[in-house]
Amino acid sequence: MTELVRLTDITKVYQGGITGALNGVSLSVEEGEFTAIMGPSGSGKSTLLNLVAGLDRPSSGTVTVAGSDLGKMGESALARFRRDRIGFVFQFFYLLPNLTALENVLIPAQLKGSVVPGRAEELLDQLGIKEVANRYPARLSGGQQQRVAIARALINKPMLLLADEPTGALDTNSGEQVMDLLAALHRDGQTILLVTHDAKLATRHAARVISVMDGRITDDARLETTEREATDVIRMRGEETRR
Amino acid sequence: MTAILVKAIADLRRRRVQAAVIFLTVLLAIATGTMALTLMSQTRDPYQAAFQAQKGAHLQVAFHATTDQHLLTTTPSIIGASASGGPYPATTLEFKRAGQTFYVETFGRDNPSGDIEVLNITSGRWARANDEIVLTRSFSELNKISVGDQIKVVSAPTTTMLTVVGEVVDIDEGSADLSSQHAWVTTAAMPALTTPDLSYYLMIYRFPTDPTSSQLQGYVDRLRASLPPGSISGSVNYLLIRNVFNITNQILTSVLAAFSVFALAATVATVATLVTGIVISAYREIGIMKAVGFTPAGVVGVFALQVILPALAACLVGIPAGTLLSQPLLANSSHALGLAYVPSFSIPLDLLLLAGGLLVVSLAATLPALRAGLLKPIAAITNATAPRGTSGRRLRVLGARLRLPRAVILGIGDAFARPLRAVLTLVTVLLGVATVVVAVGLPRSFELINNSETGAGHYQVVVNRTNAYPDADVMRILNAQPETASVVALDGENFTVPGITDPVNSRLFRGDSSRLGYMVVTGRWFNAPGEVLAPASLLHDAHLKVGDSFTGTIYGQAIQLRVVGEIYDISNLGHSLFMDYATLPASIPNSIPGRYLVTLRPGSDVSAYVQRVAALQPDLIDVHASDTSIIGPVKIIDSVLLAIAVVLVLIGIGGVFNTLLLNTRERLQDTATLKAMGMSPRQVMVMVAASAALLAVVAGVLAMPIGIALHRVLNDVISASAGNETPPSVYGVFNPIELVVIPLLGVAVAVLAALIPGRWAARTNVVEVLHSE
Repeated sequence: MTELVRLTDITKVYQGGITGALNGVSLSVEEGEFTAIMGPSGSGKSTLLNLVAGLDRPSSGTVTVAGSDLGKMGESALARFRRDRIGFVFQFFYLLPNLTALENVLIPAQLKGSVVPGRAEELLDQLGIKEVANRYPARLSGGQQQRVAIARALINKPMLLLADEPTGALDTNSGEQVMDLLAALHRDGQTILLVTHDAKLATRHAARVISVMDGRITDDARLETTEREATDVIRMRGEETRR
Repeated sequence: MTAILVKAIADLRRRRVQAAVIFLTVLLAIATGTMALTLMSQTRDPYQAAFQAQKGAHLQVAFHATTDQHLLTTTPSIIGASASGGPYPATTLEFKRAGQTFYVETFGRDNPSGDIEVLNITSGRWARANDEIVLTRSFSELNKISVGDQIKVVSAPTTTMLTVVGEVVDIDEGSADLSSQHAWVTTAAMPALTTPDLSYYLMIYRFPTDPTSSQLQGYVDRLRASLPPGSISGSVNYLLIRNVFNITNQILTSVLAAFSVFALAATVATVATLVTGIVISAYREIGIMKAVGFTPAGVVGVFALQVILPALAACLVGIPAGTLLSQPLLANSSHALGLAYVPSFSIPLDLLLLAGGLLVVSLAATLPALRAGLLKPIAAITNATAPRGTSGRRLRVLGARLRLPRAVILGIGDAFARPLRAVLTLVTVLLGVATVVVAVGLPRSFELINNSETGAGHYQVVVNRTNAYPDADVMRILNAQPETASVVALDGENFTVPGITDPVNSRLFRGDSSRLGYMVVTGRWFNAPGEVLAPASLLHDAHLKVGDSFTGTIYGQAIQLRVVGEIYDISNLGHSLFMDYATLPASIPNSIPGRYLVTLRPGSDVSAYVQRVAALQPDLIDVHASDTSIIGPVKIIDSVLLAIAVVLVLIGIGGVFNTLLLNTRERLQDTATLKAMGMSPRQVMVMVAASAALLAVVAGVLAMPIGIALHRVLNDVISASAGNETPPSVYGVFNPIELVVIPLLGVAVAVLAALIPGRWAARTNVVEVLHSE
């Protein structure tokens, strides 16, 4: 398997050094992996995801995605990088309220200048929301909005799909559906890096679960191997939370 | 109340840029308004004060030199004048100095004081000897003649040298750049200076109270009835002089007043946009304020105060600034009247402006702030901002069909996402662009009028002859020059027109006058004796229209005249007649042209022509290039217009900047999302600029007809104040390219105004923005 993401000795300090979000994190993600990053609120897991997306820059260390060192890229190059290689799914969907579902999905392709005819409709169909294509976000349920957001993230066929608490704003049923969707995408070969605080969701679908606590990686379990059972991860996660 | 103030001040600190926009916008508007109102309230008073102080004459009447002097001394009692002066012997004096020829109406008068028309000596002293002359200060300053200078009189039977011994201010005549000027010598000096054909007597009258126009007409009619026919050769009343004196200020105040309303409207639009934007973006904050105990009125107060406080600061700076800026114009007025300049301001007026300015701003702020007061707390807390509509979808679809870049499509869609905000922004930009249209058009209209009055482009040389040199000899000299293409000779005589109080100046042309460049409003140029053209004011006052015939009187002889056209002529405020020289009966005495308008062949050297012809008879003819320069007052109006256009454009930029700032802040999450999806900083800037550009395009398209209509209205107001109707050609001063370029410049300015909000949007920190949500 080819290495897609490499983080080397990453630190991230906010507010002039008062708050440390990440502290000496090193990590690699291989192509085709479905990796979940778990941790409590403020542990640094979202910061880690933002660094991989090129949305933020580390205080020290290097982030390499598909062989490109993000630290050496300017703002415009990072924008192109996100547009062409990354798909991002947010907890609160962040659909543009004055665009229809279909228009929202099309945006990244239009920004790239390479709209493939029928691709957006195909994605909406694939995600089961074709019938709401011309509705505005305000007229969609949370689950529907998140599916639109996933379609939008996939429109440019990204090599890496990042999802930050994609079920955090959804009810249980909708959350399950979204996770099933991500799992299906993974089965089709999509590399996914998921941030969640829900261990059950993470272990049910991800093949690898990385636990983060106080800006450090405290555990890295590949579930399809015998290294660690899912239940161990859940138990350990619970103990860390109690501490 | 303390909590409201504390919260408002804290919010002001947070919204410093918006506070600065309010401050600058209100400052510019209130300063312009203060200038207009200060000029309006103060300009009439100096004339009135000077008229009273200098015991100005309500009526000046010129009588033929043949009129019995003793009879003239009885005229004050005929019309019930409380004071009178004269009869002063008078003549038109032509003199030369430094190669230039000048004309002044010269009176024999032995002292400058008396019960009427006190001449205020501003420099030197009154004339004592026969070789001394006193000029008006206005004439001296315009022509750079000082006390002590010597002038050579060439109109008298024998050439005489006079020394300028004094300068005075005469309240009974207009300034030198707008009207002919008086001069004074001792009574004993007059016989030697008098040209028989150009002599007359002047009587001046003052009445116990200021007479009306119809009363003055009655006085002149009474004089005419009680004296031998043809005794009165001319008259001027104080109302005409006051109007001539005030005309520049009237035009200025009209322009300033019109654009002050514009500036105020733009300010109201900007303030309303700002408060609406703040309320929309602060939903959650409003909910929290209500949750902790702010009453609806308190919430409204917090938002209104955020505007009122910088507006108050702007008024406190802008009102004194506007008052100061109006002082040079007021000082100019005082100077022309010979009054000591005293800084003129009115504290009640300033307080009124302060109260009015704050009231308008408060209303503009409070109405949109009411929305905040009426919000239900839980709804406000639940929604961080007011929900946005789907406005702009059609524009986006249109943009997509036109295959515009996505960033541009998103930008134009955003432009009207908040319809009210978009409309208010359109208003500010529209007013700015419309003002620019007027500022471009009006000076050109003035130039056209000036060219018409000065014959610019139609004749290049003006020749005046002394009475000692015959008309035929002048024509012979001019026709002998190879460069001479045509010569039109010109004379002026006073006509009496039924229904008009004062004698009407006429211009009598000999030669092909139709090509001199005068603007015909309606009808046609005369082409036969007896046909005349007149300006609107004369036609109106004499109840005439084009096609009508009437009987005019000159030297007591009745002449049948027919109006064939309406002409544009500001001299004598629209009381003039244009006709062919052949209209005069041969029996009219002494009416021989004295001025010659010479059109040269293309490519001729004007100055060489002038030098050569002048050298032929240096003492008997005055030859000079036609002066086509714009007069000073018009230059002042042009400058003020330009300044106002700059002010309105700045307010417009402020409006666009303000709107984009609000849009950018409101769309921060969307922008962050777009950046997260790969929108580059350049694309973000393009998106913001496209939004501004669309607003400017729409405003520009709407502003052009409005600006052109306003240009038309102002031309009409200005023409009417000078007794005329605007000729169609004066309206049509814009070429089609400009009609496209001006809105495009508006777009360019709006895009420039979008740069800062665009850069802010481009620099949006995705992580911070999305994290804070």
